[in-house]
Amino acid sequence: MSVWWIVFRKELKETIRDRRTLLLMVVVPVLLYPALLVVSEQILLFGQRRLQERASPVAVVGEAPAELLALVDSAQGLRRVTVLGDPEAAVRSDSVTAVAQVGREGAGGSRPVIVLYNGASDRSQLGRRELLRVLDAWRDTLLARRLLARGLPAGFARPLEVVDSSVARPEEVGGYAMGRILPLLLVVITMLGAFYPAIDLAAGEKERGTLETLLTAPVPPGSVVAGKFVTVALIAVVAAGLNLGSMILTFQTGVLEFSRGLGLEVSVSLRAVVLIFLTLIPLAVLFGALFLGMAVRSSSFKEAQNTLTPVYMLVLLPAMLPMFPGIDFSPLFAVVPVAGVSFFFRDLMVGHADFVTGALVLCSTVLYAALALLFAARAFGNEAVLFGAEGDDHGRSGWMDGLRGGERAGKVPDPRAAVFFVAGVAVLFFWFGVTLQVQLGERGLLVAEWLLLFVPALLFVRIGGYDVRRTLSLRSPGTRGAAGALLLVGGAVPVAWLIGWLQTFFLPIPWEILEGLEKLVTAETPGRLAWLLLLLAVTPALCEEVVFRGVLLGGTRRLDTWRVVLLNGIVFGAFHLSFQTAIRFLPTAWLGIVIAWAVLRSRSIWTGALMHLLNNGTIVLLASVPALREMFANPNAPPPLWLLPVAALSLVAGVRVLSSGRLRTDGEPTPEGSEEI
Amino acid sequence: MIRFHRLTKRYGTLTAVDDLTLEVRPGEVYALLGPNGAGKTTALRCLATLLTPTSGSASVFGADAVRDPLEVRRRIGFIAASMGLYERLTARELVAYFGNLQGLEGEQLDARVEELVTLFGIESFADRRCGRLSTGQRQRVSLARALVHDPPALILDEPTLGLDVLSGQTIYDFIVRERARGKCILFSTHQLQEVELLADRVGVLRGGELVAEGTPDDLVARTGAPNLARAFLALVTGPEQGGAA
Repeated sequence: MSVWWIVFRKELKETIRDRRTLLLMVVVPVLLYPALLVVSEQILLFGQRRLQERASPVAVVGEAPAELLALVDSAQGLRRVTVLGDPEAAVRSDSVTAVAQVGREGAGGSRPVIVLYNGASDRSQLGRRELLRVLDAWRDTLLARRLLARGLPAGFARPLEVVDSSVARPEEVGGYAMGRILPLLLVVITMLGAFYPAIDLAAGEKERGTLETLLTAPVPPGSVVAGKFVTVALIAVVAAGLNLGSMILTFQTGVLEFSRGLGLEVSVSLRAVVLIFLTLIPLAVLFGALFLGMAVRSSSFKEAQNTLTPVYMLVLLPAMLPMFPGIDFSPLFAVVPVAGVSFFFRDLMVGHADFVTGALVLCSTVLYAALALLFAARAFGNEAVLFGAEGDDHGRSGWMDGLRGGERAGKVPDPRAAVFFVAGVAVLFFWFGVTLQVQLGERGLLVAEWLLLFVPALLFVRIGGYDVRRTLSLRSPGTRGAAGALLLVGGAVPVAWLIGWLQTFFLPIPWEILEGLEKLVTAETPGRLAWLLLLLAVTPALCEEVVFRGVLLGGTRRLDTWRVVLLNGIVFGAFHLSFQTAIRFLPTAWLGIVIAWAVLRSRSIWTGALMHLLNNGTIVLLASVPALREMFANPNAPPPLWLLPVAALSLVAGVRVLSSGRLRTDGEPTPEGSEEI
Repeated sequence: MIRFHRLTKRYGTLTAVDDLTLEVRPGEVYALLGPNGAGKTTALRCLATLLTPTSGSASVFGADAVRDPLEVRRRIGFIAASMGLYERLTARELVAYFGNLQGLEGEQLDARVEELVTLFGIESFADRRCGRLSTGQRQRVSLARALVHDPPALILDEPTLGLDVLSGQTIYDFIVRERARGKCILFSTHQLQEVELLADRVGVLRGGELVAEGTPDDLVARTGAPNLARAFLALVTGPEQGGAA
């Protein structure tokens, strides 16, 4: 008997004995979702019936002939009431659902009728519908009378007789309706099926100390992963399969009244069911391996739950794509994890899946699953992950611990806390910053930078109890740091320019925004120049640096250098995105990378502040000095050729200055495995 | 034979075990004594292949912990207070599972499990799930689990931690019995009473280093202390003495 099989059988036995798993594997998919569907439909229908049962009170005001009043009175769903006072107020106060204001017949032989209703009330909308129906009937009567008077045939006013007819067979329409909901549900159930077992079999085992027991038996790590992961994947597949079956049955037995009413017929071909099931397998493998690999990095059930929940949320988005109208399944979507599967399910249910995209979905999902498996296997082979508790305590304390613990020397935020903080600040800046700018203009920008970036960053460090000097790299850069910063920024700015120019071949240039920006940075008087330098160079150099090269860099510093720098650049670039354009992303990300590296090397935030100041200041000066503006004004032109070799030299020199020489360290121990997040 | 040869384990700049060399012969009980944080657990985990040493080696009857971890695991039974039992397996299933992982199958496995169930007095709760067992009962199941493949070497990391006198006695009986059967037994503790009761030889760890080694009487004699407790105190608190004897 091979070892993984022994592990698998035992894990399966234990998992099935867990009531929680059974609940998620059988009860939820088989009973809960169909039951929810039926119940929610019943509630909907009940509500509709209740609405229709009672006649809607409507009123007719103005020049209403007796004929119309008679029609309204005889209409079944309507009850005519009289409105005293303002009809609009009456509709608003819900004492009447809709009011027809009938005017006098005009010279052209047409009579204006205004129907007042409340678009935010179901009752009012129903009244309006009924009232419009009566008005239509009245119009037809009037028309017929006119035609008769002139001796014209009834078809005279109906030159076209349009009948539209769907070519879709009832089962196709049924598949279409099902294809909207079911793919998401299947993906969710598969994920849910993998979620708890994965946490239980990885983090749960660590928490209960059984992993250590297991690893004293002669079991290769690969077999442990294999046994566990097959269990998780199997449960996920079974859950999804049961759900699939149960949902199809629910639709087919016609329990759902709405599908009966619409004449929908739900019958998914056996071939489609088999294909759906086949695709579910790599999907379950993907989730199982991903969740296992992540959960094993956590030391407790709760921690794993916290780590996995965001992933769960993140997966929902691509899974939901097929629900949105107008998004077609393309080869591009086929290779997007989860989205491809979801789309493929939809097409299979509608009955027109094509072979190539299907194969693409299957292959890409298998590939992702294999990668996830590799990721999980690596985690299980890593002693720091499995027994990483020792020596890793100080890095782990989160932001909330800090709230309780007060400041501790040398404590810096952990990467997660830092990234969350920056994300929060970015959202704050995005919404309130824009409002401030709209209301206060340029001063709003100044206020936003200080109030929404600088102050929150200081508060975060303060409240979190972090070591201010270490987190924010508050050290003198030294001559070397300053010199390196000067050289680097001298090289990086022209490169940013080059990137900006190159990307115009791919991205549309938002001319209006550029013009607005140019106007903003162009100073006509010395006083204005000083203000612009304060607003656009000094302020960001302090406020943005504290957030990005302060908190973000300080919190992520214990990752690999290239990760720290890349993350910093991407976040910094993303911060400069806007609804209108992505054109600022790449150049800013590049600058963010260079500045982050310089701050990391020099261990001084002032290096970053200096570089930021010089970059932004240069732009203001270039725009404001007429002679220079002539030279550099056109964003559509490449940077002057002579500048590039100079920039390259400057960049290389800057890198050399900052890399050479001893790197100052804190003498802090770097626990093994602390890179693993 | 259990052997540590110049074994060192570092976590970053922290050296948990520093250049440890020692041997445990068949039929011998060796106690690794030291205060909390002295490196006892780390050393035992390196031997049990749960951790990889930074340098040096640990081996069990010639099988090296780094080069041939699975073979080492076949030759040792490892018990630690931190180790848990699968709560949703019954005691019998748990022992059988580990027997299975150790390569026992079919009737041979069943026979071995029954033998251990009797040996450790597990009969009355053999079919109860481990999650519902008392601490003492769990301890017995753990012992049965570690002994299921009848390994020639036993490693016990603070085996009596958190146990009452009665359960502690089970462990003592177990150790004495297995010594009589010729096993190499290495256990860590900071309880001197256990050392006096069981150990043929003692090694004292301090800050990851083996600062003294010998029979309990040796240690008392060498330090000039009136008893083992004082000797131990002198060794782990006093000024650094010459290395291991």
